[in-house]
Amino acid sequence: MNYKKIGVIGGGTMGQGISEMLAAKGLDVLLVEETTEKLNHAYSMIETSLDKQLEKWAITKAEKKLILSRIHKVTHFAELGTCDMVIESISEDLDAKKEVFKQLDQVCPSNIILASNTSTLSLTEIAGGTIYPERVIGMHFIYPVAKINLVEIIRGLKTSETTFEETKRFVEEVVEKRGVMVYESPGFVTSRIICVMINEALHVLGEGVASAEEIDEAMRVGYQFQYGPLEMADRFGLDSVLAALERMFREFGELKYRPSFVLKKMVRAGHLGVKTGEGFFKYDKDGDRL
Amino acid sequence: MKVLVINAGSSSLKYQLYNMTDESVLAKGLVERIGMDSSILNHKPTGKEEVTEVSEILEHTTAIRKVLDKLTDPEHGVIESIGEIEAVGHRVVHGGEYFKGSALVTPEVKAEIRRLFDLAPLHNPPAIMGINAAEINMPGVPQVVAFDTAFHQTMEEKVYLYPIPRVLYKKHHVRRYGAHGTSHQYVSRITAEYLDRSIEDLKIITCHIGNGASLTAVKGGVSVDTSMGLTPLEGLMMGTRSGDLDPTVVTFVMNKEDLSISEVNSMLNKHSGLLAISGSSSDMRDITDGWEEGKPNETLAFEMYEYRLRKYIGAYAAAMNGVDAIVFTAGVGENSVIVREKVLENLTYLGIEIDKELNKVRSGDPRRISTPNSKVEVLVIPTNEELMIARDTLNIVQESN
Repeated sequence: MNYKKIGVIGGGTMGQGISEMLAAKGLDVLLVEETTEKLNHAYSMIETSLDKQLEKWAITKAEKKLILSRIHKVTHFAELGTCDMVIESISEDLDAKKEVFKQLDQVCPSNIILASNTSTLSLTEIAGGTIYPERVIGMHFIYPVAKINLVEIIRGLKTSETTFEETKRFVEEVVEKRGVMVYESPGFVTSRIICVMINEALHVLGEGVASAEEIDEAMRVGYQFQYGPLEMADRFGLDSVLAALERMFREFGELKYRPSFVLKKMVRAGHLGVKTGEGFFKYDKDGDRL
Repeated sequence: MKVLVINAGSSSLKYQLYNMTDESVLAKGLVERIGMDSSILNHKPTGKEEVTEVSEILEHTTAIRKVLDKLTDPEHGVIESIGEIEAVGHRVVHGGEYFKGSALVTPEVKAEIRRLFDLAPLHNPPAIMGINAAEINMPGVPQVVAFDTAFHQTMEEKVYLYPIPRVLYKKHHVRRYGAHGTSHQYVSRITAEYLDRSIEDLKIITCHIGNGASLTAVKGGVSVDTSMGLTPLEGLMMGTRSGDLDPTVVTFVMNKEDLSISEVNSMLNKHSGLLAISGSSSDMRDITDGWEEGKPNETLAFEMYEYRLRKYIGAYAAAMNGVDAIVFTAGVGENSVIVREKVLENLTYLGIEIDKELNKVRSGDPRRISTPNSKVEVLVIPTNEELMIARDTLNIVQESN
């Protein structure tokens, strides 16, 4: 397959990052959202992200224009029929994802790979409603997509060898990231390990061992993390972290996955991290820490 | 003999077909946007009407096939059949230490160019694509590669090494390689011809100043020093490149601004030079306009550019213990009257006298811009890298037969 046009479903944080990264690699992107308002918001967020890179000299004005010109706004699935691959990146809701794949299965020719950017859900279940489950696969990108050169490639029970090989080639040769092969299991490798670490940091915070600043400082400086575990949670979205932990807790049944009470309280209070401007730390609208 | 010269980029391909009996250009052209469904082929046959065609060209093999179709086209073509093309010459950016001149393409030569991907990750891979594409379309036709770095391989160790731990040279081949070699070599040869003197007796400073810019000290016909280094970032201030700076600026800024390696590379290569200082343009024509209007930022950009260029000329006069000729070439060098004038005005200590009227002449031919009294000859010589590659190709192919 000569990849030229990729569909991206969902214009949230990850959908924006994936679209921008694909466009920067020279691919045309059809970005899908339910409404024009949501699409415009996603597009303007991508623009903001590019402006920040321009400010940091990472790209030129011409490059910014070129990247934006490759991202096309789409509100109907029917337009995805001409894509060479589709990557779904809506919120982590199994039923909603199943529905998306069911529809994609009908719109896209059967040789087109349908990938999900799920971080914890079962690919086998997501593919459940499709006629061609062999072309469904997981492609888990990590935030911030443009900077993190890793993709977990997750095989569902029915994912074919061809689909896997082709996806690996796409990841390594087209988007030039490292592809790690993972078998289906809740949280795969990255989410499972990082969520447990975040949860442990929350226990440390809840027990009054150290302040949020000190915990993050210790891990950042001590172990060369770019962000400490609490700022990491703020950036992922506390609701997403909570959902991931709850799912793993349910699936594995082990106490180490039980979400800390601090996390639950924060989510109930609507302090979801960067996207609401406040989590364990405060952020401006560009996502920079105050 | 007819020779096709190819310059392949990642998504573009330039070509020129020469009749080497009189070195005339039969046709030239450009394929852009390779890899897309709306690729553009612009074909300019000499003496015939220019044609532009938009079609899907997904890779270099198709691009070259389309070029050959055009060259042999009954209406727009200039030759009867592909068989008339007896050799192909390719421009390759990096020849490392292995290539000290142009070379006939063999499997070993291709393998060596591949080994150099590490040093020129953006430029050498498309060259290999161009070579393979030509092989597929013209099986059996000898191919030659000409390298931007080859001319500078005559630099001595004391010139090409950086004073940093030598293990880095051994392990990663960190040293100065230079660039624009084909151009520096071409204009230095034409200089000797123009002055009707033996190149062995001449000390020439060639100034290739275009969007990228480099100076070379050519002594006795060989490059003894050049201003670009491991990459084309070292040396002169350029359109968007910084040129020389204290290396600590890089680590200091990375730390202060929290920049990644690719961000700082982009800053130095695409956001610096004339563009950074003027804040408006990387094009010398705009800078000169701004300077003439008295705009402060453009004036500063112009002055920095001129000053840095002049310092290098002084350095190379010292490097060779004298200079017989200074030559200007490439976009800015051939066309900017004011850059030449300002640089030369401040080189009177070398005994240079510029003829302001001659300096204003616009022409496509080699010309002198210094007065008869000037102790150093100053020339403007339009560069022609394609012709140089065609000549090398012809020579190498004839030798191999």
